[in-house]
Amino acid sequence: MTRILAVDDEPLYQHLLKVNLEKEGYEVITANNGEEALDMVSSRHPDLVVMDIMMPKLDGLTASERIRQFSNVPIIILTARGEEQDRVRGLNIGADDYMVKPFSATELIARVRAVLRRTSNAEQATQNRYFTHGNLKIDFARAEVWKENKAVFLSATEYRLLIQFAHHVGQVLTAEELLMAIWGPQYREDKEILWVSIARLRQKLEDNPHAPQHIVTRAGLGYLMPPIERD
Amino acid sequence: MISNKMQSPIVEIHHLYAISQIVTQNLDWKPALDEIVKLSRAIFIYDNLVVYLTTPKNNLEVVYARAAGRGRSAEAEMAWGDAIAAAVIQKKETVLEEHSGDIQISNRLEYPFLLGIPLFIGDKPLGAIVLIRFGGPAFQDSDIELANFIAQQISLLIEREHLQEQFHQMEEQQQQYRLQNDFVSTITHELRNPLGFIKGYTTTLLRSDAQWDQTTQQEFLNIIDHETDRLQELIDNLLDSARLQSGEMHMQFQPVRLDTVMNDVTIRAKMNHPNLQVQLHLVNSALLVRGDPRRLAQVFENVIGNSVKYAPGSEILITINQEASEALISFEDFGPGVSAQYLPFIFNRFFRSPDIPSMHGSGLGLYICKQIILAHKGSIEASSDADKGLTISIRLPISA
Repeated sequence: MTRILAVDDEPLYQHLLKVNLEKEGYEVITANNGEEALDMVSSRHPDLVVMDIMMPKLDGLTASERIRQFSNVPIIILTARGEEQDRVRGLNIGADDYMVKPFSATELIARVRAVLRRTSNAEQATQNRYFTHGNLKIDFARAEVWKENKAVFLSATEYRLLIQFAHHVGQVLTAEELLMAIWGPQYREDKEILWVSIARLRQKLEDNPHAPQHIVTRAGLGYLMPPIERD
Repeated sequence: MISNKMQSPIVEIHHLYAISQIVTQNLDWKPALDEIVKLSRAIFIYDNLVVYLTTPKNNLEVVYARAAGRGRSAEAEMAWGDAIAAAVIQKKETVLEEHSGDIQISNRLEYPFLLGIPLFIGDKPLGAIVLIRFGGPAFQDSDIELANFIAQQISLLIEREHLQEQFHQMEEQQQQYRLQNDFVSTITHELRNPLGFIKGYTTTLLRSDAQWDQTTQQEFLNIIDHETDRLQELIDNLLDSARLQSGEMHMQFQPVRLDTVMNDVTIRAKMNHPNLQVQLHLVNSALLVRGDPRRLAQVFENVIGNSVKYAPGSEILITINQEASEALISFEDFGPGVSAQYLPFIFNRFFRSPDIPSMHGSGLGLYICKQIILAHKGSIEASSDADKGLTISIRLPISA
């Protein structure tokens, strides 16, 4: 049975979503805020998430961003009337559709059906929220990094650089791609800042920064995180 | 052997002047730094320059890096700057790391000479810049002086960037605050929920593709009814608030018996909330004030309504007494009360207790009460013993 996660800090909205979606034959689980939503996505693997933007603890947009680190579960965000910038931001972050409150029950059902139809063919992966590479472990939901079970403190830039590699294991990423993705188009030619950041990452993550295992240089091509050979 | 005095002193001063000019122009700091690197290398040789800033979490973030000389095409190991940057920030002074003895010219990259200079604004540490020369020569005093000058210029650039960001943040906060006090945005925000539920549950019942049993239908209809009442209350409050703002709330003053008004109010309250316990102590009955009976009833109802909302299940003790030439009406409940830090604000427009963020309401009720009481030449106060309850005291001049 298709499982839907409904996230809203307002219990009556949770109830409204639940009665309508259950009537359609979906299984509905609920969460009260963004933090709970993250936990439920990784533990219950829903097929769709319907999430309000305005919530305490962790708002819907930030939660969507974090979910996208480890899952491409379809997300429908609920916004208030007149908050255009939230809608655009939500879609940019990776939400699949949005709905404005107040909404009609029939609109809700139609959108849910449409999004599920669109994504049922695409490969649906809620990967583990944890990523491991040798003695390295990343928790995408909490944005934490561990080396041999000791926490590693990365700067914001270093973390973003690391997860680029984590999402493209075995794939060579060029300097230009990395600079654009992490620093922006203004830095496209600024190789030095990439060198420094990779050097610093290696200092923090590698057993021997001069013979790196996690982030390896491919001379003339770029960098990659090599796949771990399974014995 | 590279000489530092490549240019005449006048050209050197010209470059220094150009560097400080860049800082005063309102360029983005990154292109400004690009320019500074170009200009400074004309008067003072170095290979690499790295700028570190400390983050709020006391991490070191690299915000700028330039390989301008030797080692430019090699992907040089540029992490050595970290250790010296950390040392500079900790010691809050310039640190020099050089090699003595022989240097293999063929392998300059193995012999970095490091000069680290702290970045400060006043005595607030921002980070450090690290200049690297591969294979020397050693940094002279004049080099260190120049490097300090460049570091100061960079500090100014960074500080300006920070200040601009802080300014924007404050502007945004101000805007938020303005919006919160803005009538139009409050309406939009507050009415969203009841309207959303009315629309939601109505369309749920109207679904042509679904059947709901009798009990469920009743449940939904009750919700719609309840939310309609909430909507009505909100609209009334907003209108009252608007009338008060524009001085349009006209009150009909006449002799009013407080006990009559209060009896009516308590009967109505018990009708709306069957489980409500109200104790009415008319110590001094037959007190007469000059006022608008409808508006006074509104105030009393609002105060009782707040206790029902915030102290559910609690008894409400209402006392009418005389103090000097004033009538004292007090409402006491025995619920959670209001914490001392928020007590001074509960009569503010749009204020809602942050202790209970999920509570619904416009935050207008007590504001409107206060305005009405003030119009009656009276006063209203609140006192609370944490966890022991809240007391609202209203004083009105007695009519002869």
